[in-house]
Amino acid sequence: MIANMPALDDLVARFRQGDRQALARLLSLAGRGAALPDLGTVRARGKVVAFTGSGGVGKSTLVGKMIAHLRGQGLKVAVLACDPQSPVSGGALLGDRFRMGDKADEGVFIRSLAALPGHGAIADHLAPMVRLLQAFGFDVVLIETAGSGQSDVGARDLADVLVLLLQPESGDELQWEKAGVLEVADVIVIHKADLPGAEQTAAQVRAILDLSGQRSIPLVKVSAKSGQGVEELWRAIEAVARAAAPEVRVADLAQAAQQLLADRVTSAWKTHDPALVQIVRRWQQGELSLRDAARAVLTLVTDTAESSQ
Amino acid sequence: MEATPLRIVLAKVGLDGHDRGIKVVARALRDAGMHVIYAGLWLTPEAVVRTVADEDADWLGLSLLSGAHMTLVPRVLELLRQAKLEHVKVLVGGIVPEADIPKLLEMGVARVFGPGTPLDEIVSFVRQTAAAPRQ
Repeated sequence: MIANMPALDDLVARFRQGDRQALARLLSLAGRGAALPDLGTVRARGKVVAFTGSGGVGKSTLVGKMIAHLRGQGLKVAVLACDPQSPVSGGALLGDRFRMGDKADEGVFIRSLAALPGHGAIADHLAPMVRLLQAFGFDVVLIETAGSGQSDVGARDLADVLVLLLQPESGDELQWEKAGVLEVADVIVIHKADLPGAEQTAAQVRAILDLSGQRSIPLVKVSAKSGQGVEELWRAIEAVARAAAPEVRVADLAQAAQQLLADRVTSAWKTHDPALVQIVRRWQQGELSLRDAARAVLTLVTDTAESSQ
Repeated sequence: MEATPLRIVLAKVGLDGHDRGIKVVARALRDAGMHVIYAGLWLTPEAVVRTVADEDADWLGLSLLSGAHMTLVPRVLELLRQAKLEHVKVLVGGIVPEADIPKLLEMGVARVFGPGTPLDEIVSFVRQTAAAPRQ
């Protein structure tokens, strides 16, 4: 790790100069859980919008349409597209960018990622990757989940806005009564609105949402095929982001700090940090209680982080 | 399972709609534990190289059944060089006449796989080359 440090410094310097390949490298490092230097505060923090829904509902296709719409407004768009990784071979077929209208456009950056089974339908270490993209200057970061079944809500913690895609003929009315992702969505899309039955599905979902009466969730009918509703969807997403912005969410902050800490401990362990190895040994031999060991680890990773700045 | 799976972009360049072969290869590499980024059909050389760069891939597999390989493959290789992506290893698959294979290898293609290549041969070539130390 220490041998790689000059290379990392070089990458960071190139990143700050707007070198896209340095961004690509840093994203890979972040995705593997490597500890990266703080790249400074993100001046104009780009919006983070996650798209989830069952496999085949049209997430990639709709993200492709959103890219075109946002580019039309002059916004720079980055996409983190997750597809499932095989629990058997560890392999993955990442096929989302194929459906996003892949072009050589400076204002679009797409990274395909594999989501491990049981990790909330998103790739690991997505949060630092989002921060990298924002720091690089992307106005909007779109996250596509690997496809949620009914309770994969991992993307919610990362995104400012969670968009849930539903489609006609995707279950009877009882399906909408179940707890899960429907409860945490900020915007609901009835996708493939060009298909028969879209109106009925929209009415059913609206009825369920009205019944629960917690909050009024915008519901937009969209057809990526015809382009219907894409503009309206972006307006709905923007409205949610505005509403959520002034709230200070201490719980989110605590969670982010927790994640940061966990990432640092893991990477220190991976690089066989001698101080950490020492703490673990003392704890295993009973010299330290779990609580004291945790305190020592906390001091260790905080000191390391401060000295590296 | 490998700690850091190998990332390979598979793409078809130019006007060529025959994607059965590339999909079979994608499946074989996936089952071998690799992360296959399927970039799809009708791509320009520019879009292919952009994909390799943004995806930070180590490998690129190009499939051509259109007969345009002597035009499009050199163009992709040239763009890779311009983008300082010489380390990316390039495979070519599809219909390539025998006489063109040495020319493609000379240009910098790592290997050309024709019809009937056993999938294991492709997988083990990628694995062995990836395991070999970089020059």
